[in-house]
Order: sequence, then C-alpha cells, then structure tokens
Amino acid sequence: MIPLENFLLLSAALFAIGFYGVLARRSAILILMSVELMLAAVSINLVAFAAYLDPEGLTGMIFAIFVITIAAAEVGLALGIVLRLYRERQTANVDAADELKW
Amino acid sequence: MNPALDYEYALLLPELILAGTAALVLFADAFRREFGVSRRLLPWLAVAGAVVAGLVSLTYAGRSENFSELLTVDDFTTFFRVLFAAILVVLVLGSHEFVERHVRHVGEFYALLLLATVGAIFMSAARELITAYIAIELLSFSLYVAVSLTLADRRSGEASLKYVLLGGVASAMLLYGLSLLYGVAGSTYYAEIAEAFSSGTAAFEWALVLGLALVIGGLGFKASAVPFHMWTPDAYEGAPLPITAFLSATSKAAIVALLLRVFGGPLLPAIDEWQWMVAALAVLTMAFGNLIALQQSNIKRLLAYSSIGQVGYMLMAVTAVSAETSSALLLHIAGYLVTNLAVFVVVIAVHNRTGDERIVGFRGLAETQPFLALVLTAGLFSLAGMPLLAGFATKFFLFQAVASEGFLWLSVVAVIASTVSLYYYLQVIRQMYLYPPDADAERWRPSVTGLVTTGGLLAGMVFIGLYAGPVFELADQAATALFA
Amino acid sequence: MLRRLPLPSQFDRIIITGGLVAGVALAPLLLVLLVLLAVDEITAPEFVFWLVAAIVVGGALGTVLLPNIVYAALSLVATLLGVAGVYLLLGSEFLALAQVLIYGGGVVILLLFGLMLTNATDDPVVTDGSQKPFAAMVGLLLAGVIIAAAYDATWGGSELAATSLRAFGERLFGDFMVPFIIIAVLLDIALTGAYVNARRERAPAGDDQEASS
Repeated sequence: MIPLENFLLLSAALFAIGFYGVLARRSAILILMSVELMLAAVSINLVAFAAYLDPEGLTGMIFAIFVITIAAAEVGLALGIVLRLYRERQTANVDAADELKW
Repeated sequence: MNPALDYEYALLLPELILAGTAALVLFADAFRREFGVSRRLLPWLAVAGAVVAGLVSLTYAGRSENFSELLTVDDFTTFFRVLFAAILVVLVLGSHEFVERHVRHVGEFYALLLLATVGAIFMSAARELITAYIAIELLSFSLYVAVSLTLADRRSGEASLKYVLLGGVASAMLLYGLSLLYGVAGSTYYAEIAEAFSSGTAAFEWALVLGLALVIGGLGFKASAVPFHMWTPDAYEGAPLPITAFLSATSKAAIVALLLRVFGGPLLPAIDEWQWMVAALAVLTMAFGNLIALQQSNIKRLLAYSSIGQVGYMLMAVTAVSAETSSALLLHIAGYLVTNLAVFVVVIAVHNRTGDERIVGFRGLAETQPFLALVLTAGLFSLAGMPLLAGFATKFFLFQAVASEGFLWLSVVAVIASTVSLYYYLQVIRQMYLYPPDADAERWRPSVTGLVTTGGLLAGMVFIGLYAGPVFELADQAATALFA
Repeated sequence: MLRRLPLPSQFDRIIITGGLVAGVALAPLLLVLLVLLAVDEITAPEFVFWLVAAIVVGGALGTVLLPNIVYAALSLVATLLGVAGVYLLLGSEFLALAQVLIYGGGVVILLLFGLMLTNATDDPVVTDGSQKPFAAMVGLLLAGVIIAAAYDATWGGSELAATSLRAFGERLFGDFMVPFIIIAVLLDIALTGAYVNARRERAPAGDDQEASS
C-alpha cells in the first residue's frame, strides 16, 4: 500500500519546481507552463486527500476537476494576451513589458 | 431523482438577472445592425439589469436561507448584493461617455462588468470553499479581460498580461492552501470545517499553519495587500478608468466580504494560527500603501496606492474579527465605496474633458469646473478621514472597534497612516485650487449623468458623515446575520 | 540545436533524442526498483508510484530548466501524462482520462500554438532571469516546508478506498450543479478574453462603422 505521504511528497516537489519556474523564467509562455505545474500539484493533493480521507464525499476530486478546467481556461485567456503583446512589441518576454513600472 | 432539480433557484434570482442582462447586452451588441440597436443603448440595459437585480435582492431582507449548502442568502448577502448593484449603476452612469470613446468592444465591456458583479456577490455568499474559489475566479477572469480593453493604448495589454500571470500564480498558491485545509478538515463546507477545527488541530499544526499562510497569501494578492500588491498599480494604470474604479471598489469589497465569511466562520476556532499573519499583512499594507503613494505623479497610480492603504484598514478589522468590528467594517466599506466612487467619477468626468491622467492635469479645476473640484476635494478629504464627511465617521467607528478588541496598537498605526495619506490627497487639491489652468481655461460643463452621479455621491458622503445611524443599523443587521 | 520550426523530420529527431535521454535517465532507477521489488522491499503499486513520480518530477525539472522552449513544452507533456498516471494510482480513472484529454489534447497543443505564433520556434533558446539562485533557494525552501508539514501531520486514513464513477457523477451534477454552471460562464469569459486580445485590431472606429468593415 502506498502511504498518503508519498503523494504529498510528490505534489510538494511539483509545486516547488513550478514556483521556481515562475521566478526564474522570463518568457510569458514558460511562466504559464510553470503555473500549470503548480496547478497539477494542487490537483494531486486534492485527489490524494479525497481518496484517502474523504472516500464518501469525494469533494476533493470534484475540486480537482474544477481546477483542471479553470487551469485550461486560464491558459487560453493568457495566450490571447501574450499574442497581443507579441504583435505590439515582437517578443513574448515579460522583460519587454516595461512601459509600466513593475 | 437528481437533487439539483429541487433546488430553490429563486434564491439566486438577482444573479440570474445580472447574468441574463450580460447575455442580453452581448446579444444586442453582436446583432445591433440587424435589430437597429444603437450602442448608446447598452449602458442603459446594464443599468436597468443592475437596478432590477438590486430591487429584487431587497425582497430577501430578513431571510436566512441556504442554497444547497453552497450559498447563503441572509442579510449579509443582501447587504453586498445591494451594494454591488448600486456600484454598477453609479459606475455605468458616471462613465458611459468615457466608455464610448476609450474602450474597445463596448458590448463585452458591459457584459464583463455584469458578470464580475455576479462573481463578487457569490464571493460574499459562498459557504463552501469550491464555490468561493470559483466565484473568485469569475471576478478575476472578468477583470483580466476588462483590463485589456483600453482603446489604442499599449499599456493595456501589458497590464493585463502582468495581472493574469501574477493572478495565476496567486490562484495556485491559494489553491494549494485550500487543498491543505481540505486535508486537515476533511471537508470544504464552512460549517464542517468549523466543527473539525473546534475539536482541536494539534495533529495538523504545521500543515494548518502552512495552509493558512498560503490561503492568506493568495487572498492577499486578490485584495492587493502588501507584499502581494505589485500588480495593482500596473493593472490600475493600464485599465480603462471605469475598470480601475471597479477594481478599487467592488473587487476590494468582495474580497473583504469573503475574508469576513471565512475568517469569521470556519477559521475562527483556529484564530491563534492566523491572527498574527493578517495583522502583519495589515500593518505592512497600511504603511507601504500610503508611503509609496506619496511619490506618484499619475492619478491612477496615486489612487491605486491609496486603495492599497485603504485595504490595510479593512484587513486590520479582519484581524480583530468579532460581531462589533464586523459591523463597523461593513459601515466603513459602505462609506469607502461612496467616497471612492465619487473620486473616480470626477476623475472620469475630468478625463473626458482633458484626456490627461497626470495629477498636474487637474490644475485650475476650481476655476474651470468648480463643482467637480468641490466633489473631488470632498472625496479626497473623506478618504483621508476629515470630519463632516463619510470617511471620518466610518474610520472613527472602525478604529474604535478594533482598539476595543485589544488591538490598540493597530489603531494607532492606522491613525498615523491616515495622517500621512492626507499629505498626498492635499497634493491633488493644491493643484486644483492654487494653480491656474494650464491651457484650456474655458469653463465647461460635465454631462447630465456625470452631474447627477457626482451630486448624488457628494450627498451620500455628507449624509454618512453627519448621520451614520441608519447605515450603521443596516451594517449591524448584516454583521449579526454573519455571526448568527 | 533547432534553429527553425520543428518540421516532422525534426520532430522525429526530438522524439528519438528525448526518448533516449529519458531512457538513460530512468534505467538506473528502474533497475534499483526492480531489485527492491524482487527482495520484497516494496510492493507492486509502490514500484509503479516511484516510476511515475520519477517521470513527473523529471518532466517538471525539464520544463523549468531546459533552455530550449520547444523541449520544455514537450517535457511538460511527460509531466502531465505522469500526473494522469498518479490519478490512476489513486483510483480515479475519470480524472486520469480528463487529464489526458484536456492537458495532452488541449492545453499542450494550445501552448505549442502559442510558441509557433510568437515565432519562438525560430529562436527557441531563451535566457532566463538573473535571479535563478534566489529562485532556486525559494523553491527548495518551499519544498522543505511543505514536506515537513506533510510528514508532521497524522493524516488518519491510511486505506486507499475505491471510488465509484457513479458516486462522483451524482455528486458533481447534484450537489455541485451551481459551481458547474458558474464554470460554464467562466469559460465564456475566457473565450471572450482570448478573442478580444488575439484578434487583429482594426483601425479605431466610431459607433457603427466598425462592424461594416
């Protein structure tokens, strides 16, 4: 039997790697991918808790399916904006988005 | 038999009306040539929808019911429903000329405002974490898009990109925190979480604290609390002015409503774990928001930092959460919304005339348009908390309530921060009264709707400032429903 | 190194190279796990778990570390498929299926389109920010804190219960009907956002002129 902690360990690693990506990457699309990693970590957490601790309610699995949906929608929305920025200044790097002070 | 068929959908009528209006606006915009509808009709459609939704929600006053254990319809919800509908009405009336000239995709713009309001209402009504999270995303997604709608302005897309990327990271943080809370409590229903936490949390100490920290970080981002505020000035500057106003009004009030419901309800038993975090956030927000505001030269950025400072006062009340502070906080929110909208509607009206976003663009406004100068002065003084105006009365109640909960030091910080804020508000007032107009010295008149909305908001500010009693009673009822 | 858009022949090369690299990296792990399995140190599900975990973490590291943006995207595919494997281990076939369909079929294609439309494939090598050491420190710290918290707690349930798809569906479309409807509105907003931004802007026009072009 796999202990619950193993899944939490995996999700912690995935979340931290995603966070590293957000901080280290400069391309907007790569930042988006890193956010996807973080959200995948969240889903693993939720499904693991649901399977081990809440097998009647299954709330975590429902939460996870909503998270997956919202993550997909967010990618679509964000890519639209990236494309617009690329048209306006020929790059997808967030460093180029510098007309507003950060 | 599917239980979903038996739910009392009538409880959600105001939101259904708002969402229906949004669909209608989109439809009318898309087929305007076929049906001969003018774009000028769209704001009136939105206003009509908001007015009807506000009136319908009044009929729920005094009731306390829940919708399939996901949403609560009580006086607290009603308070925010009416407030958000009113914000929408005032904002659309005060800015429709601006929208015609400076916003692309007008139909989508109004639809997004309506849907964002739906999200805000669900945030204040949610009694379950999944629903609360989805409501937050509904509001955020609408605003991500709305920020990008400024016509012919490169800053708009950039602001939107920063907002959506940072917003995504914040959502991930919030979600990870929520997943840990779910693991600790074994449920996402507020009532069951409260039950789980009342029976002791020793087995989960670290996981609970970590979960709370991530949740507070994620929500702090949405509320633009320091140090999670970096998106705020950029999004405010790139967004069309009405959206800037919306970000500082509805979006802030909704997140505070959500914080009150969550931290005053399910998380109250775990107060020792989170109180210090929220207190730290409040102090940082009050201090840095007001200090950075001192150096701004763009009116949107100035108001962005000013609204960050204002969020600090509200977080302070969340720290000292109780029935008394909650009613003071709700009163403060009402006063803040009236004041803040007054400031923004004047800024929009002036921008319609001058097209200038700099603070120096307000030079000589007292000569060219004395009425708007008066309203803006009153609004800024009220934000700073000067007597006779809404800001003073509501801040007085708020600081007193917080102090009487044993957080005197927080109140002292807040008073100092308010004093600092007076300085940068005075900078704007100085430009209006002490300098002659730069170029265009002609007297001008704002539009009728601009005059009506600013006049109404000025009256509201003075009314709450002199005679806060009736509003306080409403706020008290709402807060009582929350702690019932 | 890729200089141009990855045409099918080049894609073959990427897949072969990627497969070789992954195989070489996974082979020692597989050996160790097989030995452990043989001496009954771990059970079969655990064997699968560690294998899947290696794919997930390896793919994730590739996504955030590889300088070539196309390789990073393909590495993300490995991670997301690995996550689907994790769902299977947790007894949730439906989520695993949804994960493969939505991520493998939708999101990754979308991301690759994004890369192509921003011409990232012409010059796929990106430079990262200068704050890499700081980011690595924060990441390690975060991982440490979360893992410590996870092992500190006594989580109670140790049995992995079988979940029925029927119960899941009844709950999703019964108790959580309203969030489900709100999600529909949310997808609508995302769609609106994508098209108002990605669409090429026509010359600014007044009231009804715009629609006539």
